[in-house]
Amino acid sequence: MTARMWTAAVLTCFLLALPGCRPKSAQEAKDPLRNAFDTVPDASDPAKIVPLTYQQAQGKRIFETYCVWCHADSTPAGPSNRSNVTPTPALISDGAALNGLSDEYMQNIITLGGSAVGKSAMMPPYGRTLTEDEIRAVIAYARAVAHPRYQPNARPGPKYSVK
Amino acid sequence: MPAEEMGKVSTKLRLAFAISSVIFVAALAISPIKDLRLEWKQNKRAFVRFAQTRPDTKHLLADFHPGIDQIWLPELGVVDRCTTCHQGTTQTSLADPDVPQPFRSHSPIPHRVRDWGCTVCHRGQGVATEVAEAHETTLAWEQPMLPIKYIQASCGSCHRNNLANAPKLNHGRELLVEFNCASCHKLPGIERAVMPGPDLTNIGNKVSREWIYKWLKEPRMVVDSDGSLKVDGYETEESPRMPQFRLSEKELLALSAFLASRRSQPLEPYKFDPRVLAAWEKRPDVLEQGEVRFRQMFCSTCHSLAVTRAGETKLIGGEIGPELTKVGSKVNSGWLAAWLRNPQAYLAQSQMPRYEWTDEDLYKVTRYILAKLTDSDLLSSVPKLDATAPQEIQAGRRMFIEKGCASCHAVEGVAPQKDFGPDLTALGGKNTSELEFGQAKIPHTLVAYIQAKLADPGAVNPAARMPQYHMAPADLDAVTTALLSMTGPPATSGRQKRIVPRKEPEFHATGAFGRVYERYKCYACHQFNGFGGTLAPDLSYEGSRAQKQWMVDFLKNPQTLRPTLIFRMPQFNMTDQEAANLADYLSLAMQSPAVDSQGADARQYTPQMAALGKQLYEVKYQCQSCHTIGSAGGYVGPNLNNAGNWLKPEWIEAWLRNPQALVPDTIEPRRNFTSEEIKALTAYLITLRQSAKAPPARASNHTTTETIGAGRGAGRGTRQ
Repeated sequence: MTARMWTAAVLTCFLLALPGCRPKSAQEAKDPLRNAFDTVPDASDPAKIVPLTYQQAQGKRIFETYCVWCHADSTPAGPSNRSNVTPTPALISDGAALNGLSDEYMQNIITLGGSAVGKSAMMPPYGRTLTEDEIRAVIAYARAVAHPRYQPNARPGPKYSVK
Repeated sequence: MPAEEMGKVSTKLRLAFAISSVIFVAALAISPIKDLRLEWKQNKRAFVRFAQTRPDTKHLLADFHPGIDQIWLPELGVVDRCTTCHQGTTQTSLADPDVPQPFRSHSPIPHRVRDWGCTVCHRGQGVATEVAEAHETTLAWEQPMLPIKYIQASCGSCHRNNLANAPKLNHGRELLVEFNCASCHKLPGIERAVMPGPDLTNIGNKVSREWIYKWLKEPRMVVDSDGSLKVDGYETEESPRMPQFRLSEKELLALSAFLASRRSQPLEPYKFDPRVLAAWEKRPDVLEQGEVRFRQMFCSTCHSLAVTRAGETKLIGGEIGPELTKVGSKVNSGWLAAWLRNPQAYLAQSQMPRYEWTDEDLYKVTRYILAKLTDSDLLSSVPKLDATAPQEIQAGRRMFIEKGCASCHAVEGVAPQKDFGPDLTALGGKNTSELEFGQAKIPHTLVAYIQAKLADPGAVNPAARMPQYHMAPADLDAVTTALLSMTGPPATSGRQKRIVPRKEPEFHATGAFGRVYERYKCYACHQFNGFGGTLAPDLSYEGSRAQKQWMVDFLKNPQTLRPTLIFRMPQFNMTDQEAANLADYLSLAMQSPAVDSQGADARQYTPQMAALGKQLYEVKYQCQSCHTIGSAGGYVGPNLNNAGNWLKPEWIEAWLRNPQALVPDTIEPRRNFTSEEIKALTAYLITLRQSAKAPPARASNHTTTETIGAGRGAGRGTRQ
């Protein structure tokens, strides 16, 4: 008798709990890039798709308008201008060259141009053409497509003292 | 009951009391425990624990409070409690992808969370405090969150104009125009073409009934089992403008009979000069000569052709006009010459320019098209069709109206149809329960519904009259985004106030200029004050930029421009008078307020200044990274070899001061030149001149915008 009552009680609880379960949306499981603002094929493996956030996607758009001509091997117009420029500019996905540069340094060279930081004057300044946020977005995009992968070596320090 | 037993309770009853009071206390405890375990409270505690692992704990917890956080914006109808769990939304130090959700910060966007809330863009149920209720569809809430993939739709709900930050939305809207969706559907902000499909009033003069049958059955395109789209057997990314209708054999026969009998005016074949005929009819090289002329005229700027290179066949050329690989097997020979001579006589709304032909050229090109751009197998699968019977024509006429053909095509005696398909003004805000899913095995969501319907209209509703389009997955997502942006009238007056309307550019060309402008359809490729095509450079400020004589020379012979690109300005063979009229008008009317219209005095530029300018150009600013002078330099900007003959000095000065003031989307960076440097560079650039007879190989005088315009808009055409 008691056993039967316990079974009934457990069963009732289970049945009551059932409506709480929700089936996971089938669509979401199918498409892992459903929550990416934009995507870009990985530089080392075009079959792999890298998801981009809003900021990175803006960076991609600005890159493909202003920078792609010298910092990529193929451009929307076909051939790249990269071979016309000496020293040869780094590719946007060249993590070996760019991962070591800090965000501040990249912001400076894009804003002020190559000659301002002791590099080639072939890199013009964009500080009067692009806004600070737009340049930041381009850097975020470079970080997203970097190969080898970009790992920020230090977390941003505390802005307020811990005391 | 005996007195001594009064107040005494049996053991059994005591036990019952004991158990029931334990159960009662336990039941009372459920509520506080449940309260403690609420999802949002767990997230609150988890955030505190998480913040303690971060170096900037104090900053992260500066405005932490344990209750529900809420953004209340009565004007927008926003009550959003999302930040209760998404506590790092505005914390810039939590942007790394390895920060766990729901604590990651929001990507920096143009709108502040405090001023706009979350649901204005993301949808979902703002007041909910449970994860599932906030994000998904529940019985009481049918607006789930928008997947980020389609989030640009929310930009479009208020921004009816195009936004640079939302390329997917813009592309989707372009596709809605390109596919002529507005011919049948009410779609706010989507332009309805004046003539979505060709006028068929005289179609019987142009093509045979067999060809119409074939076209209706299979508008040139075939989709492979692997999903790749082929037009006339050649792979392409562009869907032909005529979609595929699901027509039965009977319907095909009736419609082809009706259309083949459309001849309101008898065809008048063009009569060539008998001397030209005598000279060319028997010449063995007439086809080669015709092909040469066809190429020289740059028909490929607007029309594509299948070209085989290195064993691979591809469609190469523009998309403004139809693809022409097999046009010789399509059109009647008498019609072709008449059409080429004056397209507007057959089709008043045609965008095809009316070229100035010599009889000799016209004859050669016509012969070439009819002999070489053909396919003997094109109509081999079509049954033999007899002369059309009146009852078939009658049935075809009924069919033409029933199928909605008159939404896109005009035919004499049939009233044009408007809003043939459902109104889609508010499609993007529809609840799932308002949609008819039929037998379709798809998730019951708005996004899935729209995508299934676009991919195969018959899948959701087998009786749908909507034809079959073939879209690449990226295009499908773009069109879905654009449709999701159509959420109908704004929900509150606060939102109504924030709508950014679309600007409707207008440009009216009149007088002598207007006649030439209409004849050569300049607007099919060029922009004039925001009106026109995007294939070629914007000419809104051409009068401030280019010297008049250069314009005349260019219009007479545009062949030397842009040698690396396929898309070039066609050779119109315009008369001297026409070229002069165009140059006059552009010089006078198409001026930028940012450029001194009085002109700069050429005498102020001294050789010393030019020498300094050369120095600045080559050493200090190294302009050669993007511009070519001589044969050295980059190709990003225009070649400057002929800058002295081409550009006005006052334009160069204004350009160097601030390029974006003249052409807002130019990629030339704005530099910090001093006035002396600007004068010196200008003095140098105007010394660069090429005589008209110089070898044309590298003499490309295109502007930065031309390069970029060609690069952006015509990327697919430049794959050679």
